[in-house]
Amino acid sequence: MSAGSFLFAGRPVPCRDGQSLAAALTEAGERAFRTTPNDQRRGMFCGMGVCQDCLVTVDGIPNRRACMTMSEDGQRVEMQVAYPVLEDIPPATTSPGAARILEPDVAIIGGGAAGLSAAIAARAAGAEVVVLDERKVGGGQYYKQSASHKPLDAQQAEGRDLLARARQSGAEIIGAVEVWGAFDGPLFLADAAGAALIVRPRCAIVATGAYERPRMVPGWTLPGVMTTGAAQTLWRSYRSLPGARVAVCGSGPLNAQVALELAAGGAEVALVGEAARAPWRAPWVALRALTADPGLVLKGLAMMRDLRRRGIPLRHETTLQAVRAQGTELCATFRGSSGVTTEVTVDALCMNDGFEPQNEILRLLGAEMRYDADVGHLRCTRDARMRTSVRSVFAVGDCAGLGGAPAARVEGTIAGRAAAAEAGYGDGYDLFAEERQLARHRRFQSSLWRLHNARPAPAETLARDTILCRCEEITLGDVMDGLQDSPGDLGTLKRATRVGMGRCQGRYCGPVAARLVAERTGKAVEDLSFFAPRVPVKPVSIAAILAAQEALGDGD
Amino acid sequence: MATDVLVIGGGIVGMVTATELARSGAQVTLIDAEINAGSTANAGSLHVQMQSRFMRLYPDQVPAIEASLPTYRAAAQEWERLEAEIGSVELVRKGGLMLAEDAAQLAFLEQKAAREARHGLQVELLDRPALDKIAPWLGPQIIGAELCHNEGKVNPLAANLRLRAAAEALGVTRVRDRITALAVAGRVEAHGVTGTYRADRAVVAASWGAGALLRDHGLTVPTQAEPLHMNITEPCAARIDQLIQHAERSITLKQFRSGQIVIGGGWPARDCGQARVPAVEMGSLLGNVALAARLVPAIAHVRVIRSWAGMNTTIDGASVLGPLPATDRIILAVPGDAGYTLGPLIGKWAAGCVLGTVERERIARFSPSRFAA
Repeated sequence: MSAGSFLFAGRPVPCRDGQSLAAALTEAGERAFRTTPNDQRRGMFCGMGVCQDCLVTVDGIPNRRACMTMSEDGQRVEMQVAYPVLEDIPPATTSPGAARILEPDVAIIGGGAAGLSAAIAARAAGAEVVVLDERKVGGGQYYKQSASHKPLDAQQAEGRDLLARARQSGAEIIGAVEVWGAFDGPLFLADAAGAALIVRPRCAIVATGAYERPRMVPGWTLPGVMTTGAAQTLWRSYRSLPGARVAVCGSGPLNAQVALELAAGGAEVALVGEAARAPWRAPWVALRALTADPGLVLKGLAMMRDLRRRGIPLRHETTLQAVRAQGTELCATFRGSSGVTTEVTVDALCMNDGFEPQNEILRLLGAEMRYDADVGHLRCTRDARMRTSVRSVFAVGDCAGLGGAPAARVEGTIAGRAAAAEAGYGDGYDLFAEERQLARHRRFQSSLWRLHNARPAPAETLARDTILCRCEEITLGDVMDGLQDSPGDLGTLKRATRVGMGRCQGRYCGPVAARLVAERTGKAVEDLSFFAPRVPVKPVSIAAILAAQEALGDGD
Repeated sequence: MATDVLVIGGGIVGMVTATELARSGAQVTLIDAEINAGSTANAGSLHVQMQSRFMRLYPDQVPAIEASLPTYRAAAQEWERLEAEIGSVELVRKGGLMLAEDAAQLAFLEQKAAREARHGLQVELLDRPALDKIAPWLGPQIIGAELCHNEGKVNPLAANLRLRAAAEALGVTRVRDRITALAVAGRVEAHGVTGTYRADRAVVAASWGAGALLRDHGLTVPTQAEPLHMNITEPCAARIDQLIQHAERSITLKQFRSGQIVIGGGWPARDCGQARVPAVEMGSLLGNVALAARLVPAIAHVRVIRSWAGMNTTIDGASVLGPLPATDRIILAVPGDAGYTLGPLIGKWAAGCVLGTVERERIARFSPSRFAA
C-alpha cells in the first residue's frame, strides 16, 4: 500500500492510497474543514456525500467534499472559506474524459446491497446492465468496502463477495459517478469526474439507499460530531478512527455495532446512549423479532454481551441533550431515564437516530409515495415486483422506505428479474421463495424498529437555539417564528426563513420542518408536505451541466 | 366578511396596493390563493431596457413595450422609494449589461440603445476594454455590450417578507383563499373556495388568474401563465454587480448579496396545473446553465444547488391598470412584461385608482377598456 502526504492549510498530512481526504484529515486530528458565513467551523458529518458540510478547496477548486474526494500525494488542500473568489479558481487543467451516452436494458442507480443484487439477477436473465455508484468502491452503506484492506468481518466479506459476483456477472459497474438529474423516459444525467454520463435505459432500478437521521441538539454541527455511519465508514473503508475517545448515541442497532467496531479498532468508547427502553422492558416485541429472525436477534444479544465484556456502558432511555466544544474536545451532555444528566468528554461524538430514505430521484420522477408515521418518512408505493407507479421505474432497498440490508438484497433480486423481463429477457420467473424471504425480513424489521425509537423525536421539545438547517444556519426558533408569521406550506416557510435553501437541499431540516408545518396546519403529512423534488438532486458544477449539454446538444 | 377594499392577489402588486390603501386609512382585506404566484418564484431582476428575448418571442408586442419604457424607468426608481419605506430589499442599481458576441448583435444593441435613449433611458455602449473594467470575468468572445444604468436587482424573498410585514403592521387582513367569481350588486362580492367577501371596491391583482375573473364583466383579458425556469448556485465572493443579459439569447444572470448566482431569463418550464408547481424541463436546465457557463466562464466550478420554475404572466406587452369599463368598483392591476419590476409602481397606481389620487392621463394608456368585448 503506497503512502504519501498532502498539505492542509500548509501543514503536511499523511495519507494512504485509497483513503478519503476526510479520513486522512480526521486521522491527523484535523476536524474543522470549513467556515460558514456566520464564521462557524464545520467538519465531516454524514461521511457519505449528503450533508455538504466537509467542503474543502483542493488544488484551488473550491467546495469539494472531503468525504467523497480521495487523497493524493502532493495535493494542496485548504479550509473552505464561505465565499470563494471566482478569479482565484484555476481553469480546469486536465480535460475531462469524453462524454458517454449509455442505453442499457437496465440501469441501476446505487451499488449497495439492493443495487448489486438487482444487477446480478438482471444479468442472469440476459439483460445488459449498468450500475452507477457514487463511491469509487461499490458495496453501499451496509457493506462499506475498502479499496485496499481485507474484510474486517463476515459482513464486509459478504459485501466483497456480492460485489465480486456483480462484477463477474458482466454488469458494467461505474463508480465515482454522481447522478444529479432524472427526467421522464427515464433519463439520467450524471457527472463522472467532469465527464458527462447520460443514461437512457429501457428500465431503471432506483437503489439509492438511505442516509442517517441525526439527533438535533445544540452543538450538533460542531466539528467532531458525526453520524454513526460516517464513523463506521472511517474505520471500515479507510481504517481511520474518528478519535481516540468516542461516544455513540441515538436509537437503533447500528450504534452498538459501530461502538464495538471502533473499540475493536482501538478507540475508547465512553458511552453508548440508546433512547429506547431496554428490550427486556418490551418482551412481546422482542419475542416477535425472535420468531421472525432468531439469527439476527442472537446477533443483537451477542453485541450487548460484547459491549459488557469490553466495559462499554450501554445506557437505555438515555438521550443526548447538548454538545459543546471544550478545547479540541467535545463535551456531550446526556439525560437518563431518571432525569439525571451525565457529561462525557470525547474527541468524536457519533449519532444515528434512524434513517431517511434517499428518495429524491423517485420523487423527481413522480413515483407515488405514502407517509409512514411509524418510521417518520415516505414509503414508495410498489407492487410485488418492486414496480413504482412510474412506467419502467423500479425501487428497491431503503430508498423506498426503511427495510434493512437483508430485505434490500431480496428486493434487488426480485426487481432485477422483473426489470429484465420487462426489457425482454426471461419471463415470469417464479419468485415465490424470494417473496417468502422478504416477508420474513420485513416482519423482523418492524419488530426491530419497535424495540428502538424509529419515530422521529418531536421537534418542539428541542431547545430554540438548536440549529435545524445546517446549511443556512437556521435555528428551530427561527423556524417556529416563521411558522407564526406565515403558516401555509413548507415552501412558504422556506421562503420566509431560508430553511432548506442550502447545499444539502433540506435533507436534514426538511423532514422536521415538514412535520412542524403539518402540525401547525392540522394537515396529515404526505408527499406534498416535503420540499418539492428538484433537479439537481445533489449540487452539480456548472462545468458538469455544460458537459451534459454539449453531449446531448439539448437546449441550444 | 366585509371590508372597505378587497385586494385579490398577494403578490408584489397586491401587497403594495394593500399597504398603500391601508396607509391612507382604508380597511383592507388581501386574499391570496398561494398557488404558483409569480412573485414568490421571482428571481429579482429589475428590467428596464427592452429584453431581446421578449422582442424575439413577441414581436407584435414590441410597440407596446417601447411605449412603456418611461414606465419601466419610473418603476425601477419606485423600488428605491419602496426600500426607503419598508427596509432593505437588497436593492442594487449598478445597471444591466446586454452582451454582444458579434458585430451584428452589437449593431442591434446600438439601434436599440438609440430607441431607448429617446424614451429617456440612461444607456451607453461599451467596447471590450470598457467592459473589462467592470466585468472582467466575461468570456473572451464578448466584444461589447449595452449598459443600461437604470437596471438593477433586488432580493425578492426579502422584498416579499418586508412587504408582508408592512401590510400586517398596517392592519391589512390576509386570507388564504382562491377567488373563483366576482359579482357587483351595489357592493363587490367575491366568492372564494372557502368564503365570500364583500367590499366597496376590489382590486384584481391576480396576474395570470385575472383573465378568468373578468370574463363575467365584459372583458377578455388574455392573461397567460408562462412557466419559466431558474437556477441558483452556492455562494461565491461578490464580483458580479450588474444584471447580465444577451443581445440574442435568453438569459439573465446576477449575484445576490448572499453570494449566490441566479441564472434564468425565460427558459420554459412545464405547466403541471394549478395544484402543483411547474416542472423543470431538461432542455431548459441544460441550455440555460450552459449558456451562462459560456458567457461567464469563471463560474464553471461553482455548483448549481437548486432549480425551480415559476409563473410569469404575459398579456399584450403593456400593463393593464384602471377601473373596469362596466363598473368602477373593480380595478384591474396586472403589470406587463417583467411584472416584478413594475409591481411597486403598478401597485401604487392601483391604490391611487381606488383613492382617486392618480392622474387619469398618466394611466390612460393602460386602461382595461382595450379588452372590452
